[in-house]
Amino acid sequence: MKKIYLPLLAAALAAFSACSKKPAELVFSVGGAPNEIEVWERIIKRFSEEKGVPASLLRQPTDSDQRRQGLLVPLKSEKANPDVFLADIAWIGQFAASGWLEDLAPYAAKDGTDLKPFWPKVVDFADRYNGQLSALPAYVDAGLLYYRTDLLNKYGFKAPPATWPELLSVSLKIQAGEKKANPDFFGFVWQGAQYEGLVCDFLEFASSGEKAIAFSDGVVKLDTPENIRALTFMRDTIAKNRISPPNTYTEMKEEEVRTFFQEGKAAFERNWPYAWGLHQQADSPVKGKVGIAPMPRFPGGTSVSTLGGWHIAVSRFSDDKAGAWELVKYITSPAVQKELALELGWNPGRMDVYSDKEVLKAYPHFAHLEKIFANAYPRPNIPYYTQVSSILQRHLNSALSGASEPGAALKAAESEMNEAAARYR
Amino acid sequence: MAGRGEVVTGGREAYFFIAPLLLFVFAFIVFPIAGTFFSSFFSDVTFMGKKFIFLSNYTHAFSDPGFRQAFGFTLTFIAVAVPLELFIGTAFAVILDQELPLRGLWRACVLIPWAIPSAVSARIWQLIYNYGYGLANFIAVHSGLADGPVNWTGTASGSFIALLAADVWKTAPFVALIVLAGLQAVPSDLKAQARVDRATSFQVFRLVTLPLLKPVLTVALLFRTIDTLRIFDVIYVLTGGGPGGSTTSVSLYAYNYFAGGDFGYGSAVSMLLFMVSFGLSWLYVRLAGFGEAA
Repeated sequence: MKKIYLPLLAAALAAFSACSKKPAELVFSVGGAPNEIEVWERIIKRFSEEKGVPASLLRQPTDSDQRRQGLLVPLKSEKANPDVFLADIAWIGQFAASGWLEDLAPYAAKDGTDLKPFWPKVVDFADRYNGQLSALPAYVDAGLLYYRTDLLNKYGFKAPPATWPELLSVSLKIQAGEKKANPDFFGFVWQGAQYEGLVCDFLEFASSGEKAIAFSDGVVKLDTPENIRALTFMRDTIAKNRISPPNTYTEMKEEEVRTFFQEGKAAFERNWPYAWGLHQQADSPVKGKVGIAPMPRFPGGTSVSTLGGWHIAVSRFSDDKAGAWELVKYITSPAVQKELALELGWNPGRMDVYSDKEVLKAYPHFAHLEKIFANAYPRPNIPYYTQVSSILQRHLNSALSGASEPGAALKAAESEMNEAAARYR
Repeated sequence: MAGRGEVVTGGREAYFFIAPLLLFVFAFIVFPIAGTFFSSFFSDVTFMGKKFIFLSNYTHAFSDPGFRQAFGFTLTFIAVAVPLELFIGTAFAVILDQELPLRGLWRACVLIPWAIPSAVSARIWQLIYNYGYGLANFIAVHSGLADGPVNWTGTASGSFIALLAADVWKTAPFVALIVLAGLQAVPSDLKAQARVDRATSFQVFRLVTLPLLKPVLTVALLFRTIDTLRIFDVIYVLTGGGPGGSTTSVSLYAYNYFAGGDFGYGSAVSMLLFMVSFGLSWLYVRLAGFGEAA
């Protein structure tokens, strides 16, 4: 009997060890839609050939939560694989503070890599952590106001609204007219479901820059007049003023909002830049009728676009850090950034691509994006961001649903977030 | 139990045969649970380093409003969903036990919801409840039951009922399957005898069949309670724990902490879940009297 088991065990062990990677091969972990993965495959193959560094792609799902999970496990167990990966801007604080990210500054200094083409504000806020350069932007994102140019004309408005009260009155007017022919029409669609997107939208409604959610020495003040005004306005778009659909706080995430607007059922939309290309597709009912503008603000406040995006980082446990840095440089190079823009409509991580003639011809709206990105505001760059964000999401969503009052919700969120901060500092 | 096939010797042989199973149980059940238990005594946050804090994670859980909300939701959900699953599942089993034409086909149909992966069936229910183009609103509006579309998951109770429907739809077939097996083990001469004694069909069911089903129902109750205790996928897909955190289950709550890098607290929450399910299992087994000679 034992004779049968031993070879079986040996075979199983062999199968396990075959899973571990061959030394000196760079592994780049990236997720996304199938068309995105295809482009990445091509880029990685070309990198291997041009630089003579063997590299392969570790595919991840499209879902951002699952991508994070897929990185958390190898990093926590200090695996040499993956060497390089894309990280959402909201994870960088946690990853950097965990000591998982290689400081890229010495590499950049050594071979004189110019960091000026990257938005200084994006790099300073998102990528610098405790004086180290943890990552570089590969894809920059920020919230935009999309509007229907034809409807603004039809109802006699010359420009998109610059303030939230203005957006409300314009929405009400357009909606009153449009609802006659289309009962499903709403003035304004935005992301209100209980998830990270809600926090991004909240920062924009608050129109007080970084002050809306600011931790100083681990203490946050949320129960402020500006925040209460913003949350009340958000809630009232749904139940009171009815310029936003009732399912805003249950179902509305990026894609739900994007399809709602694209079906011609809304005058205004808050979304990330990716929606632009899809709105302009040949079969889109709103093709050629869409404009983009900076986010509205409250009178006396500032227009805020929440900064999002994907950044490229090197694992501190990588067994080929020099090769990994080569790949980082390659992916953030003007040529590859331009390729990603042209092929996938990605917003390049560096400014110089936005003035490229070929890129501007394909994406005229990039001219606006450059300015908006320069003024985008980050979410708090703290290691325990995930924990405090999930508390905030819960209370914001509760206020939107009408289960709690905005002031009380913010107060409760503030005290729970401060408790969490005390635990994690 | 002494019989012709009784094994007198062979203690060592028995260990040898049981070894692969034991190895499996140790590698995939005992070891992870022990690991989780161990790590629940630590402040194990990826960005803070590891520190022994003994029971602090547990004491924190009891004062943590998020955990209390999740725990309360999970227990309420079990209290409502499991009896409903048992009732509907048993009803289906009784119907499927009859001599119906195309009985095999009906049995297969009833089992379909159970065969569909939870994430997929949750997605189906999400489409049914969808505000703009969901089937539920299509029926409600076109039949005149509602004046306009209804935001089904808009309130805590609405979300609860939406989850309940999705969960019961999926798991009642499992109960039906187990109970059906039990029904087929009920000797038909007992039922025939009861009928000779002029018992009505309902009396036969209540006085003959049901008592004989008790062990099977206990197993179904046990399985369903433990399974519902760790409910995750339906909620993750359907409501994401909203609105306002009102439908966050303990598993989803623990998951959020693991994702945020707090392995110590996530482990403590998982251990509390494990202890509750262990306690409930023990209680059920005691009450059902499996330990005594059957």
